[in-house]
Amino acid sequence: MSVSDNDRIAYLSGEQVESLDAAERAELDELRAVLASPASWVEPTEDLEDRVLAAVAAEVAANPSRAAATEPAPTAAPAAADETAGPSRPPGRRPRFRLPRLTAPRVGFALAGVAAVIAAIVIASSSGTSGPAPLHFAMVVTGTPLAPNAHGSADLTKTASGWRIQLRATGLPHLENGRYYQAWVKNAAGILVPVGTFNDARKVTLWSGVPITKFRTLTVTIQLANGNPASSNRRVLVGTITPAK
Amino acid sequence: MVDRDVRRRFRTGERDAVSAVYHAYGRLVYAVAYRLLSDRSLAEEATQQTFVKAWRGAESFDENREMTPWLVAIAKRTAIDIHRREALRSATPIDSIPEGAPALVTRAAAPEDIYDVWEVRSAVATLPAEEQEVVRLQHFEGLTHTEIAGRLGVAVGTVKSRSFRAHKRLAAALGHLRR
Repeated sequence: MSVSDNDRIAYLSGEQVESLDAAERAELDELRAVLASPASWVEPTEDLEDRVLAAVAAEVAANPSRAAATEPAPTAAPAAADETAGPSRPPGRRPRFRLPRLTAPRVGFALAGVAAVIAAIVIASSSGTSGPAPLHFAMVVTGTPLAPNAHGSADLTKTASGWRIQLRATGLPHLENGRYYQAWVKNAAGILVPVGTFNDARKVTLWSGVPITKFRTLTVTIQLANGNPASSNRRVLVGTITPAK
Repeated sequence: MVDRDVRRRFRTGERDAVSAVYHAYGRLVYAVAYRLLSDRSLAEEATQQTFVKAWRGAESFDENREMTPWLVAIAKRTAIDIHRREALRSATPIDSIPEGAPALVTRAAAPEDIYDVWEVRSAVATLPAEEQEVVRLQHFEGLTHTEIAGRLGVAVGTVKSRSFRAHKRLAAALGHLRR
């Protein structure tokens, strides 16, 4: 990292830096302003999710024919041009934040699930264009024959500590008294890597340090606390990651 | 990013898919709405309406496209509509309306401001918890490193280290904004 990059980072972190010119300070001050904005930190109330789900469910119930529609035309145009215009930057406008371009950490993640089948995951941009690897995914999780009523969703975020997996699933019994759930990811060679253990799937945070690009299959087993760390092969969850086209 | 399969299921209104999309984008949509409305309750209303509108329009949304720009556009328009509604609703003498009340907010955030909030929040979410807290205390609460050290009960040097690492990570995550 160059000295000037360190100076810019030091300025952002609140240090007095004399080497930056007025233009650099102004650009960094814009980022500081966004970091100072309440919008960057406010959190919705916990029950907002329930209200959103209820509102969408009401809309679905009121429009059953819409909900019953299957695969839409893959090249369908957006409903309204202005709805899909997105927050594109005005053409010709210079970048707002002139920050040092540091090498992004290699993206990798593994999944942990709770007695649910992990739906296929696309791990790269569907547009096929090159660019920064995605840092955030969401997925649906569903049950297996051993746990047919299990279902939920998972949120995966790449962090400096690895991939954080926040799983919310229902339909699975709470395990204790020497029994627990164990999640694994598996690569093409059949190598299993454990990614977390838990007792209850309703709200659990798991961590993975292996790349999902290499370990594409996720399984969850019911394990016994008998000192044997190997998989019991009593799979209650299986999922496979679909590579991007 | 939301898996293509999730986006397909979202179209049918499958609850778990809606939940997955909410968990992926809900807080960011809320941040965009709050940026425009400066009111928690109104921002939550806008968030709720955004997801309903997203479902209504999901049938014609190309599932091969990223949802972010589409959701941000819906959230922005929804928040502006709510802002206008609140401005019309207010019949209170202007002198008695507290400063910062939504009805008095006449300047809509520029599009790049909204997207910057989205991207900065996404980048902050990737920081370790202790680094997020330092960044929040420094920028949002305006504390010095010494004050942050006192608040967290750690050495000033620790705060400075966490701050430098955090801002280095943010710089890496936001570097694409240079294009």
